[in-house]
Amino acid sequence: MAHSRNHIHGAPSPSPGIWASALATGIILTMLAVLIGIVAFNAFGWFWPAEITEVNLIDGSRVIGPAVQTEARPSGAGERTKFKIGSRDIDGRDFRWIDDDQIESLQSPSELVRVERSEYGDVFGRLTKINDTTGRSLDPSDTRALQAMLQHGQDLRRQRRNLLEERETIRRPLTRIEEKLALKERSANAQSPETLQEIDALEIRRQKVEARLLPKLDGTDRAVADIDAELERGLLVIDTGRGVVTVALADVINVGFPNDLSFGGQVRETLKRGVEFLVAEPREANTEGGIYPALFGTVLLVLLMTLAVVPLGVVTAVYMTEYARKGWLLNLATQAVHNLAGVPSIVFGMFGLGFFIYGVGGTLDRWFYAESLPTPTLGTGGILWASLTLALLTLPVVVVASREGLLAVPRDWRDGSRALGSTQWQTLRTIILPAAMPGILTGVILAIGRAAGEVAPLMLTGAVKLAPSLPLDGSAPFLHLDRKFMHLGFHIYDVSMQSPNVEAAKPMAFATTLVLLALVAGLNLGAIVIRRRLQKAYRGGEV
Amino acid sequence: MSSHNTTPTVLASENLDLYYGETQALKKISLTMPERKVTALIGPSGCGKSTYLRCFNRMNDTIEGVRLEGKVLVEGHDVNAREVDLERLRTRVGMVFQKSNPFPMTIADNITYGPRMAGVKNKARLEEITEKALRQADLWNEVKDRLSESALGLSGGQQQRVCIARTLANEPHIILLDEPASALDPISTAKIEETLAHLKERYTIVIVTHNLQQAARVADVTAFFMLGEVIEFGDTTTMFTNPANSMTEEYITGRFG
Ligand SMILES: Nc1ncnc2c1ncn2[C@@H]1O[C@H](COP(=O)(O)OP(=O)(O)O)[C@@H](O)[C@H]1O
Ligand SMILES: [Mg+2]
Repeated sequence: MAHSRNHIHGAPSPSPGIWASALATGIILTMLAVLIGIVAFNAFGWFWPAEITEVNLIDGSRVIGPAVQTEARPSGAGERTKFKIGSRDIDGRDFRWIDDDQIESLQSPSELVRVERSEYGDVFGRLTKINDTTGRSLDPSDTRALQAMLQHGQDLRRQRRNLLEERETIRRPLTRIEEKLALKERSANAQSPETLQEIDALEIRRQKVEARLLPKLDGTDRAVADIDAELERGLLVIDTGRGVVTVALADVINVGFPNDLSFGGQVRETLKRGVEFLVAEPREANTEGGIYPALFGTVLLVLLMTLAVVPLGVVTAVYMTEYARKGWLLNLATQAVHNLAGVPSIVFGMFGLGFFIYGVGGTLDRWFYAESLPTPTLGTGGILWASLTLALLTLPVVVVASREGLLAVPRDWRDGSRALGSTQWQTLRTIILPAAMPGILTGVILAIGRAAGEVAPLMLTGAVKLAPSLPLDGSAPFLHLDRKFMHLGFHIYDVSMQSPNVEAAKPMAFATTLVLLALVAGLNLGAIVIRRRLQKAYRGGEV
Repeated sequence: MSSHNTTPTVLASENLDLYYGETQALKKISLTMPERKVTALIGPSGCGKSTYLRCFNRMNDTIEGVRLEGKVLVEGHDVNAREVDLERLRTRVGMVFQKSNPFPMTIADNITYGPRMAGVKNKARLEEITEKALRQADLWNEVKDRLSESALGLSGGQQQRVCIARTLANEPHIILLDEPASALDPISTAKIEETLAHLKERYTIVIVTHNLQQAARVADVTAFFMLGEVIEFGDTTTMFTNPANSMTEEYITGRFG
């Protein structure tokens, strides 16, 4: 009775343990929020079209560029500011620290321009001369004409890309014969009479096909040359304060006047650059451009991993809970699965390298691609091997969560189903699996979360700094599981530790981190939403 | 009872011993239940009533380490014979559990579960089965407008009757009930007893109950179990008014159990 009275007259005061854990949770959440805040601030700061400043120094020289950072001078007196001056082709410097007392005057006129180009990074300065694609000079202050010319340049570049693709398609029969020839010439019995005969026959065919295709190829080559000439004539000349830089129209990615933008314009520009970052190819050894291939590679990798781990994990869990005889063997297997979860991920990478790549891939190469050896076809890193390695890594998570889900299905339901004359398989399919689905999905969520952020094993199994082509494209068989791939996690490492221009690439690392965080959060959220839906649909009246 | 001589016995056991591993739960049980009557199994808890009931639809198979000697006969056949089709046996011998266990599906899907698993696909046929079974379980009028709602949204008593209807949908010959009303309030209990009273016209029913009044109300014959043995078996009224065994008397007058 005393106990129940306690509940009526005021709640019992919570123990200090509850306060401590609440405090710890609060601290952790705050740290997480701060971390995400820092990452997001840096990333969006990079996309934001920063104001460009023209700095006149007391020694009479001049630099132009956005201020990046201000701090107290290491020597003590006064402050200094870091400017991103760009145009590293002039003197090899992208950034410059300037002491406050060296500055004569500062201004930010609206005509200052930022030119993003495909090589050597940004250029900041004043447009002094513009030539259009006919070689005619334009008025540098005529923005309308400038925009028209830039648009024309983009059209030309698109045409050029299409022409090159077309050329490749036209040339494909020839390329195939050449590949065959190369294989025959390199094969072990290249000197045998039959092979020599085959090579001769191939050579004759090659010449025939070449003769047939040549007129068409010449046509596209000429068209490309015409476009190149046009792009060559178009150019921008920029006075950077430190010297004059000429940018060919072919190299121009973007031209902007940030000082001339309203707030709305700045926001629009930020969003535009954010989207471009997601969909553009990387440039300049990953220090510029976008992360599209890495984003694509990560999503595809996780998808393939999920496709592999879910059936395997669920079948394992079902076998262990529903079919296996209870006893020491099952206990041993359970222990083994739990311990697998604690194995460092790099060890899985080693296993993937040894088993999948050298073992399975190497064997398949000897069986099916013997003529191209010693160059490996499947016996080298690729997205398939990497996703299978990740599937092994996440297998324990899926198995453990699925088992818990299966064990939580009440015995009453199983008995009820069997007592109505259903088989064990029918009971599994219609009662047990649907009821265990939330648990199984929890496992999948955890697996995806773990896999999306995992980098170490990928370094051994096929993630690369720069992949020549995506693992999924328009050429048959469309999904190229043997290809190497890029990955956001590896990209972050590469950009922040392996970059030739660390300072310029730093914001890139933050932006990529933000994308990775958002991706993991998004994948988790998606899975959680699906799980909630299922639970609701499932419990029906109970909720 | 004259038909007994011509038709094979519906439900019987001969010298049945059952062991859970080392411990013996049933000892030399030989009983023959009357057809189209209600047989009650009573006795203190742990005496083996549920275990005995589960022998007739072989639900003990799902428990590891169960060993059985002697014979269990359903409609004249040994249920443990090699050639027995387990799934068919269980549609013939339906079972309702102590704790109501509707599946987390719609009411209609619960009712048609057995027929669907047996391969019935025709929608009209399934609807027919649903209505018939729910009517037999006296539940049709209460749920006919919410057949596509979850069965878990029903009251406890209704859930148990869904389980009864679900069993009836299989068109069994025999129905086993293991303390079907022990978790229900008196009104729901009364309703279930009412249902049983008219079900026995068509089915052979065996009910385990802890409630002696219930046994007296619904059962034609009663078996009194103790420590895995049958102490007394016979006409319910006789047993309750004039028990042959002193232990039976002590139990029904409430001196133990
Ligand atoms: N799954 C099981 N494993 C081991 N022993 C069991 C199991 N189920 C029941 N028993 C034992 O068998 C005896 C009979 O149980 P049970 O048939 O459930 O009794 P009742 O239904 O009469 O209360 C009890 O002693 C009980 O402990
Ligand atoms: Mg019992």
